[in-house]
Amino acid sequence: MSWYRTRVERDLQRWRAAGWLDERGLDAIRADLATRKSAFGVASVFAVLGAILFGFAVLSFVAANWNAMPKLVRLLLLGGTLWTCYAAAGALFIRKLDLFAHAAVLGGVAVYGASIMLIAQMYHMEGNPPDAVLTWALGVLLAAVLARSGPALAAGAVLLVTWSIWERALGSGAHWIFLVPWAVAAGIALWLRWRPGLHLVALSLLTWLIPLGHFMLGGHAHWLVALIGLLVAVACVAAGPAIDRHVPASHAVFTYAVATTFSALYTMQFVDSNFLFGLRAPHAVGQLAIQAILALVLLIGAMAWALMSENRAALWLAYAAFALEIFSLYARMLGTLLNTSLFFLLAALLVSLLAWAAYRLHQRGILGQAA
Amino acid sequence: MTLTPTRRIWLALGIVALAQTAVLAGMVIDRVRLLRTGREITLPVVPVDPRDFFRGEYVRLGYDVARIPQQLLSGPAPAANAPFYVVLDRTDAGPWHPVGVTRDWPDSVPASGIVLKARSSYPWPAAPSPTHTQWVRYGIESYFVPQGQGPELETLAREKKLSAVVAVDSRGNAAIKALLVEGRDKLQDPLF
Repeated sequence: MSWYRTRVERDLQRWRAAGWLDERGLDAIRADLATRKSAFGVASVFAVLGAILFGFAVLSFVAANWNAMPKLVRLLLLGGTLWTCYAAAGALFIRKLDLFAHAAVLGGVAVYGASIMLIAQMYHMEGNPPDAVLTWALGVLLAAVLARSGPALAAGAVLLVTWSIWERALGSGAHWIFLVPWAVAAGIALWLRWRPGLHLVALSLLTWLIPLGHFMLGGHAHWLVALIGLLVAVACVAAGPAIDRHVPASHAVFTYAVATTFSALYTMQFVDSNFLFGLRAPHAVGQLAIQAILALVLLIGAMAWALMSENRAALWLAYAAFALEIFSLYARMLGTLLNTSLFFLLAALLVSLLAWAAYRLHQRGILGQAA
Repeated sequence: MTLTPTRRIWLALGIVALAQTAVLAGMVIDRVRLLRTGREITLPVVPVDPRDFFRGEYVRLGYDVARIPQQLLSGPAPAANAPFYVVLDRTDAGPWHPVGVTRDWPDSVPASGIVLKARSSYPWPAAPSPTHTQWVRYGIESYFVPQGQGPELETLAREKKLSAVVAVDSRGNAAIKALLVEGRDKLQDPLF
């Protein structure tokens, strides 16, 4: 029995006991639940596992005989496998077996990527290796649009991130061009109206945006990243309902924006090379204190707004970030002259905040019961 | 004309398969054209970091021409990891050596010279130093070998007996055509 049905069954018995449901209604609801197929039934899970194992079998067969095959045979094999995957996807879509069809599309884009790598290997191509990842990612996004495939979109987002990280590792700097294919991926996610995809697209932007400070203004542009995050967060607070009329996204965007700002502030305090080797300059303590206060104000503000707007994800993020901030400050300040007083100040802030949060929750509970 | 759902699915998936096949075919055709029509140069292989030379099933190849005196750069400095152009030249049948570096395609190339597209992971300094060299890559630094042949090639490279035959097209793209041992064919792949 699925998690959902277990829950409904519990509620049904409560409703029946309260006299809101008669026996006939109860039977009708149970019958309806029984006929509804779970999207993640055992059969489909095994089928996908089977497809994956089949893929591995083909791969190991090809790998074992690869050297013995002439190049043309290898190329035809790669092309043939690619077309077979998409043909299978088509046949499965027509039979309304969408879950299997999407697995086949994913298989197709995997074969496409493997082909790029194997052709590069066959012809000793090296060039600029991230270019191959971008070529793969664009092919995957095309499949996501035309096959309306969420899984392919997810794979495309992961590949775009891989591409950008690789380019940056090779010294390409800020890598602004990432924003172009990213915007395409974001557009596809919106068009597919697929919520996990939107989250993935947002996360992929964060993996590009948060480290951006390392690649601008001599590697110390983290304040700029913090500012961008802050502006987005403020926009979500100020124009939340207006945004939600178009796309119900202001809660999630607020959470991601707070994560961005906090990450940048955290980098400024504890990671950036100014501080990497400890507090050397006398002014550094003052600078750290200012940044720490900014971070704590941000997090308390985020908690307050999360409570008011019932944004659970933002609340948990702010709690976790608050704990991390306090712990890092304590570890950094230990052994300096300021340690005791600053630590007690921060501890006081933390406890006051928890008291306030508990009060708010309590009040909410009372209001909820009164209503 | 309206499409039935079935037709729409086949059309969409057909476009995906066709586009991806076209990209793959493009990779192969471009490479075959380069290997077939590109001008051939032979570069001696120098051992790279000996621990890193053989990794998995491909060998890392180093070249003398990958170390370029920074003062050879003329004009604006290329951005980090952006392509730029290196002019190689040689006297008679002597070894190839770099004679110039430019961000854009060079205006003048000596009659006996050849242009290669290169990249460097390290940013070019604003003021090139007369004593410093820049490490560059030409995209010919990896060579995939049948399993088990790596250690043998590693030994040959350390003894400086290995050289690479490289095809270079009119846009500066380079591809390894064959590996030579003391000037004789060691490994040459068919085009297909």
